[in-house]
Amino acid sequence: MRMGPPSGRSGARDAKGRDGKGGPRKKFFVRRRKVCKFCAEKIEYIDWKDVKLLQGFIPERGKILPRRISGTCALHQRKLQTAIKRARSIALLPYATD
Amino acid sequence: MRLYDIVVLVTPDLSDEDATKLAGEYKKILTDGGATIVKDEPWGRRRLAFPIGRKREAYYAYWQVDAPPTAVAEAERRMGLSDQVLRHLAVRVDEELKRAGKMAERLKAKALKRPPRPPSPPALSAESPATAPAVEPAAERSAE
Repeated sequence: MRMGPPSGRSGARDAKGRDGKGGPRKKFFVRRRKVCKFCAEKIEYIDWKDVKLLQGFIPERGKILPRRISGTCALHQRKLQTAIKRARSIALLPYATD
Repeated sequence: MRLYDIVVLVTPDLSDEDATKLAGEYKKILTDGGATIVKDEPWGRRRLAFPIGRKREAYYAYWQVDAPPTAVAEAERRMGLSDQVLRHLAVRVDEELKRAGKMAERLKAKALKRPPRPPSPPALSAESPATAPAVEPAAERSAE
């Protein structure tokens, strides 16, 4: 009785083997590697007046896009954060929307 | 002397000319205090990202100024007193700019240190056409 499920799984494994994709049990999600925009483009000084640049890190809600999503490195996220906060203080960017 | 970015938001109730005149007063306070103006860029009327005191737009004036801290402090104090000024911001930027310049230099030096790097990718791409045909037939065979 216990033999049932494993054999079913091995069948699936064979099918995968024929396709020549992936290992036996691991499922791979091909995730694009995130790269810090500022490192990649060598932007050293994050200008708080550059609204167009900063807007890319502000989702609809108006919050600052977290590092885990944007892929920005720690150093640049910190600089980005202060730049966004400065821009907010003179109403170039929203604190929150809706 | 320190480098500052200064922005003043003037009420939209004033005409653009009056707004520039008002901004000019603050500029005069700065220059009287011993400042030299590096950049003078009036951004003009802009929509605010959120309403400030029921106002949806404002006249923006921006300067980059090489000034002693006392002059900036005095200008900021006066800006705070005025009802025509919605918001103002003065940020010291020289240190950050200097650090950024240093980092840029370091990156450049790093790039110079390894000159053999740029020629290597073309060499790789030249190699790959030779290997690619070898791989393709094998892939076809496995598909069959």
